[in-house]
Amino acid sequence: MTLEMTSRPRLSAGCRWAEANRAERLLLFPEGAIRFEGTGREIVERCDGQHTVEQIVEELRQIYSAGDPARIEEDVKNFLGHLHQKRIVDFQLESRCSSLDSSD
Amino acid sequence: MLESRLLGLIIQMVSAPLALIAELTHRCPLHCVYCSNPLTLENTASELSTEEWMRIFDEAGQVGILHVHFTGGEPLARSDLVKLTARARAAGLYINLITSGIGLSETRLEALTKAGLEHIQLSFQGGQEEPADEIAGARSHSHKLRLARLIRQFNLAFTINVVVHRQNLDHLSAMIAMAEDLAPDRLEIANVQYYGWAFENRDALMPTRQQLERSQATVIDAQERLAGRMRIDYVAPDYYARYPKACMGGWGRRLMLIDPAGQALPCHAARMIPGLTFDNVREHSLQWIWQQSSTFQQFRGEAWMPEPCRSCERRSEDFGGCRCQAWLLTGDAKATDPVCSLAPSHPLVENVVAHANDDLAPTRSESVRLPAAWVYRQNPS
Repeated sequence: MTLEMTSRPRLSAGCRWAEANRAERLLLFPEGAIRFEGTGREIVERCDGQHTVEQIVEELRQIYSAGDPARIEEDVKNFLGHLHQKRIVDFQLESRCSSLDSSD
Repeated sequence: MLESRLLGLIIQMVSAPLALIAELTHRCPLHCVYCSNPLTLENTASELSTEEWMRIFDEAGQVGILHVHFTGGEPLARSDLVKLTARARAAGLYINLITSGIGLSETRLEALTKAGLEHIQLSFQGGQEEPADEIAGARSHSHKLRLARLIRQFNLAFTINVVVHRQNLDHLSAMIAMAEDLAPDRLEIANVQYYGWAFENRDALMPTRQQLERSQATVIDAQERLAGRMRIDYVAPDYYARYPKACMGGWGRRLMLIDPAGQALPCHAARMIPGLTFDNVREHSLQWIWQQSSTFQQFRGEAWMPEPCRSCERRSEDFGGCRCQAWLLTGDAKATDPVCSLAPSHPLVENVVAHANDDLAPTRSESVRLPAAWVYRQNPS
C-alpha cells in the first residue's frame, strides 16, 4: 500500500512500545528494538491509526515552527516510507480504517 | 534530524543480555537433517518446570531483557506453552515463537495470541511436499501450508523461514512463489550452517558455487519485485564467505540461551566446546551468570583473540567469528574462525568447498539420484 496524505499510519502487527517504566522510548519489533529520539519519536508516537499523514505533518510544523514547512512534509513522508519498508508501520486509507488490526 | 539507531549498536558493555533464547524442550516431531541442536539432547525428565521458567521470565523482565525467543526442539511440545507465554508477556518481554507448526491448532493459536504472543516464525523444509518431508523425516509440509493461512488471520507479525542447501537451492523460485502466496511479513531464506546434525550431513548439504550465485540473483530480483509487500532476508553459508559472521552478535555480548535443563549458554552450539562449564539457572540468577560466569567471559571482548584477529580492523565487527566453528574445524576454540579468508586454517574450508564443487558429487535435481543416506536428528530419550 502506498503512502497518501490521507493514510493513517499505525504500528504494524507485532510491533509495540516497550513497557512504560523504561527511562527511554523503545519500540520493539520481531528482530530487534529501536530507540526513537527527537523528531523521529514525535512522528512514531503519532502512528496510532488515528492521525492522518497530513495531521502528523501539521503537528510537526507546529512543534518545529522555525523549520521549512515543505522540508518537514518531505522528511515525514520519507521517514514513514522507511519505517514501512522495515515493516514497523503500515498505512490504512480513510475509507478502510474500520477493520481493527486486520493483518493486511 | 530524524534520529533512530539500532539499540545493539549503541550499547557497548551491557549489564544484561538484550534477548533470551529459551530452548523449552529438545523434543521435536521433526527429524531435520540439518538441525542445529546438539547431538546429545536433553531428555524430558531434566526439563525445567513451568514454575522455573516463569521465575526466569520474571527475572529477565527485571534486568531489562527485551525479547524472548521460544525455541527447542519444538516449543509446542510443552503443554504449558500458553501459561509460559502469558507470564513472559506480563514480565514485559516481547514474545517470538520459532516453530515447525506441528502441534498448533486454531484453538491453541488463539490462546497463544491472547496470552501475548507477538511474532511467529514458521519453518519450511522447502517449497515442494515430497522433498521437504524427506528432509524433515516426517510428513509436515501440507500441515504447514494450512497453518500459514491460519496465522494470517491473527494479529501477529509473521515470518516464514525456509532452509536451503544443495538439494533444494535450485528450486528457490518455487519457494519464493510459495511464500508470496502465503503472504508473511518477512521471508527468511537461510542456508544451512554446519553445526550439530548439519555437520554430520555436510557433504549432502553443501551447495555449489554456481547454485549460490544463481540463488543470490534470484533473491535480488524478488527483493525488488516484492519491496513493501514482503521483506526478504538471505543468509549465505559461512563456508563461502570472505569474512566470518558476527556470531550471536559477539560472545556474551547480546544473547543468552537457556537450554531445556536450565544451563545458560552463549549460543546454541557452545556445549560442544570442551573445558567450558555451564552455570545453571537452578543455582544462579541470570544477572550473576551474565556478569560472573566464566563461560560468558571466556571469549567476551578482545583479550582472548589470536592473530590475525587481534590486530585486524574488523575485530569489532565480527568479533573473530564463531568459536564453535573454530573448534569443530581446527580443534582449537580460540582460533580465528576458519571461514575467514585471513585465517591460517582457511584451507580446511577451501577443501570442503572444492569438494562440493567437484563434478563427481551430483545434486539430486540432476538425473543421477543419490541414495538417501541422511543422518536424521534423533529424539531425546
